[in-house]
Amino acid sequence: MKPIWQSILLLSVLAILALFALGLHNDPREIPSPLVNRPAPDFATKALDGQPIRLSDHRGKWVLVNFWGSWCVSCVAEHPYLMELARSTRARSDFLIIGVDFKDTEQGAAHFLARHGNPGYRHAFDPNQKIAIDWGVYGAPESYLVDPNGVIRLKHTGPLYPGWFEKMALPLLQSTPSAQKEATP
Amino acid sequence: MWIELGHFAAILAFLLTLTQTSTTLFGIYRAQPVWIRVAKQANMATLLLLTLSGATLINAFLQHDFSVRYVASHSSLELPIFYLATALWGGHEGSLLLWAWLLSLFNTIAIWRHWSTHSRSIPWVMAILGALLAGFLILILFLSSPFERLIPAPGNGRDLNPMLQDPGMVFHPPFLYMGYVGFSIPYAFAMAALITGQASDEWILATRRWSLFAWLTLTIGIVFGAYWAYYVLGWGGYWAWDPVENASFMPWLTATAFLHSVMVQERRGMFKTWNLFLIITTFALSLLGTFLVRSGVLSSVHAFASDPGRGVYILLFMSILLLFSFGMLALRAELLRNPIQLESLLSKESAFLFNNLLLVVAALTVLLGTLYPLAVETLSSAKVSVGAPYYNKVFIPIMLGILLLMGIAPMIHWRRAILSRLKQDLPIPILLALLALLLAPLFAITHPYGIATATLMFFVLGSHLLDLFRGVQARRAAAQKETPPRTLPPWSALQQLLTRNKRRYGGLLVHLGIITMCAGFIGSGLFQQELDLTLSPGDSVQLGNWTVTLDSIGPAAKYNWTAVEATFRAQQGQTTVVLKTQKRTYSKHSQPITEAAIHTTWREDLYIVLGDLAKENTWNFRIYRNPLVVWLWWGTGLMVLGVTFAMLQGRRPS
Repeated sequence: MKPIWQSILLLSVLAILALFALGLHNDPREIPSPLVNRPAPDFATKALDGQPIRLSDHRGKWVLVNFWGSWCVSCVAEHPYLMELARSTRARSDFLIIGVDFKDTEQGAAHFLARHGNPGYRHAFDPNQKIAIDWGVYGAPESYLVDPNGVIRLKHTGPLYPGWFEKMALPLLQSTPSAQKEATP
Repeated sequence: MWIELGHFAAILAFLLTLTQTSTTLFGIYRAQPVWIRVAKQANMATLLLLTLSGATLINAFLQHDFSVRYVASHSSLELPIFYLATALWGGHEGSLLLWAWLLSLFNTIAIWRHWSTHSRSIPWVMAILGALLAGFLILILFLSSPFERLIPAPGNGRDLNPMLQDPGMVFHPPFLYMGYVGFSIPYAFAMAALITGQASDEWILATRRWSLFAWLTLTIGIVFGAYWAYYVLGWGGYWAWDPVENASFMPWLTATAFLHSVMVQERRGMFKTWNLFLIITTFALSLLGTFLVRSGVLSSVHAFASDPGRGVYILLFMSILLLFSFGMLALRAELLRNPIQLESLLSKESAFLFNNLLLVVAALTVLLGTLYPLAVETLSSAKVSVGAPYYNKVFIPIMLGILLLMGIAPMIHWRRAILSRLKQDLPIPILLALLALLLAPLFAITHPYGIATATLMFFVLGSHLLDLFRGVQARRAAAQKETPPRTLPPWSALQQLLTRNKRRYGGLLVHLGIITMCAGFIGSGLFQQELDLTLSPGDSVQLGNWTVTLDSIGPAAKYNWTAVEATFRAQQGQTTVVLKTQKRTYSKHSQPITEAAIHTTWREDLYIVLGDLAKENTWNFRIYRNPLVVWLWWGTGLMVLGVTFAMLQGRRPS
């Protein structure tokens, strides 16, 4: 074998191995949303409590929009943290949580909240997945952090985990909200 | 208790594989064959122990022993018995055990078959296979043990992933694994040849049947997977260029190149280094195929076990194997240098050379498409996916080139084509090809790739039938020259021809299988029709020549699932068929599984998938007309027959 081929062969093997070594840290579940740093699609619909709910009514506050459904197994795992997060942030004037219950029935949702506990915040009811499709939701649970200007700043796929708020959301809350120019698509 | 026995057996097997490797190396070092015989016994014991190990796991499944974590997470009380036994390879840990067991089995068979015939290579083969098996058993025992207990034991298991509760599950993984593991034997022989620096042809001859067998089972495994995807995923296709599909396809491509280029080494003593490169690459890609699913490096529908700890070990394992193998190749290939040069561009060996280049480039394009998203994500944290458009653009032209060579190859000879013969023969397949070219528009084939494929298919068909005809002619002429002269009837001449050179005609039959599949690719790739619609019972719709009527929709249930089942009546002329498509919900899972309804004829598949409820009593449906899909399965059948026929031939008399 000619030396040039030797080097090419060994270098390509090394390159592929290096790629795998670096790639091990990728999380295959993480799918970046093209909506991050874009204005959140507004929704105005009926909430689970029967009253209307509109996202843009909450401009000026950070809103955690959490997509869930009573059919979703991981949502059960996530639920205790949401209960805890709702309790610990209730006093904050700059932050609130809105659930979006999608692809679900009202009975199913009521049963879920009765069984696993009601965290106390409001839920938009989205049986035909209209909101979920607007937001490009792949599965449940999925959470979006919307800043006071109505711009999505963060997306989390899968259950939120204890400490998520302090680690991921607080730094953003303490920084300046998005400049208005970013809010134009 | 039984499972601990199985676990203990696996640990013992692991120690024995270490013994196998170390005693052979010691025996080689001290030149004392007695140590190598010790390794032989160790290998036999390993197989028995691993068999016991697997048996205790299957037993745990059959007994519903949910105190075994693996059983609890991959089966349930409701799981039908035929999936219970095969749930062994329904998850990561068990499928690795299946891999290890197959490796141990093949190892034993290889030792038994080659012990006395290849006494120089066999110690090295044993040392390499022992180390390989040890590597797998470390992964099984320390990083993904199927023998772990779950205490307290749950009353019922979490059930097998409903996607896997399908007959495809019973066949697809074992065949694929037999293919992957099968290549370990030629690989080990090739490494032995590199290490000893001798017997540079021996390994090729020794492993001819192994390579054919591995190629055969890999082919079957891939097609089973495609067939399974076709009827269970419900998107009307059979191949999605998913990373793990690609992972099984890459070794297939390089192995196909290998099967062709070994013939050149056998006949002409050329391509020695190249053949070593091909078999090492094939086996490395087989391992990559196994590991890609396990390490979480690539995301895919198949990635059912991602775990960084395993990932690191797997990477380490792959690194050692790749650097050792390719390093040896780079260092030692000099020993295999041969002075023989190509005599003519128009010769069988140069045709094989181009065939090899195209197949390897094809494998490279697939590798590039598979790794590109990983590279982009790693370097820029953006996500991209490489899909059908890339592969159609890059892959199809390469395959057309291969078809062209496939048609030419039987007509040219070793060393140097006889030009007069070529001038005489070439017009016939070309005429057939031209005929196809002219007729293609009549069959509405207007896409350039479609026309090119159809033309080349007939070119290949022509050259292969002509080859057969010339062979029969030659046999009859030879019989005439015998003393006393005999008149051989064409059929007996054909029979003699085929049985005397099973390998050649088996190979040509595989080619006919490939062009049969090409017909399927043209039909399903270019002429698929799709209807997306909502129907209520009583509604009718027209698709192609079919009038499809939704008769009824209602509940159905069996084993561990309930379903919504739509019953269709499809009419074409005098024929009426009933099709049932289901949306199943398995008792332990929320994710519904679609069961497509498929009516197959030689011309087309009628393929119906039930979607979601649109409104009261009205459902979404997707109806496909997939022309010529069955030709894919027939083509595979021909390939299987061809390879099996080729395997019947023993070693070429030297």
